[in-house]
Amino acid sequence: MIVAVADTGPLIHLDEIGAIDVLSAVDGLLIPQTVYEELEAGTVPPALSNLEYELVEADPTELTVDLNLDPGETAALAVASDRSAVLLTDDLEARDTANDLSIEVHGSIGVIVLAYHRDQLTRSKAAELMRALQTETSLFITDSVVEKGISLLESSS
Amino acid sequence: MATDLTERVQEIAEARDVAESEILEQALERGVEDLWIDLVLSRYVNDEIDRETAIDLVGRDRVKRAERELKLVEDDVQWGLSA
Repeated sequence: MIVAVADTGPLIHLDEIGAIDVLSAVDGLLIPQTVYEELEAGTVPPALSNLEYELVEADPTELTVDLNLDPGETAALAVASDRSAVLLTDDLEARDTANDLSIEVHGSIGVIVLAYHRDQLTRSKAAELMRALQTETSLFITDSVVEKGISLLESSS
Repeated sequence: MATDLTERVQEIAEARDVAESEILEQALERGVEDLWIDLVLSRYVNDEIDRETAIDLVGRDRVKRAERELKLVEDDVQWGLSA
């Protein structure tokens, strides 16, 4: 049973490659109100309405570390901490902070691989989406690193 | 895309008050540099060259960034395959 809370990054990056539906690979998806408001400041991905998710309020005052993150990341961390949920973020600093707080954290690539593992995607489609994250989105990631991830995926049984 | 590039070259040349040919030359140099960095990092993450060689060729910051990204991607793939 995977309950995950999404930061803005994976929602935007997965939408940019037309794959926001892979978020349905988790068993329960939580979106902090603050994250939703960040999306509204731009454009809420229309495909988000096809996903089942719960809008939740966050209480960052419970967090015990000094945060240098934006409000959405902070809210997502607070919800993940409060609900023992997996944090989904593509932000390196947010990932470091989550690790400091012993919160399990993964990014868009993890969600794509999970969707493959749960038979929502073929292996080749998962590889295609991982590559698209690097070439077609605002996510910065070294291309050879993505290729290494794809080779790990392809070598899995 | 070609139109975009042409228009951007024109706009950059006008903004910098230099010839479009100079902008194209700079673009080629930057493009080759980026591709070179990609190649070096690819060789490093695939264990074809060692860390010190990679640092000598593209700098410590880029190598450390690639190492950090690699760890996260490996962690994500492992989680996705086992969760």
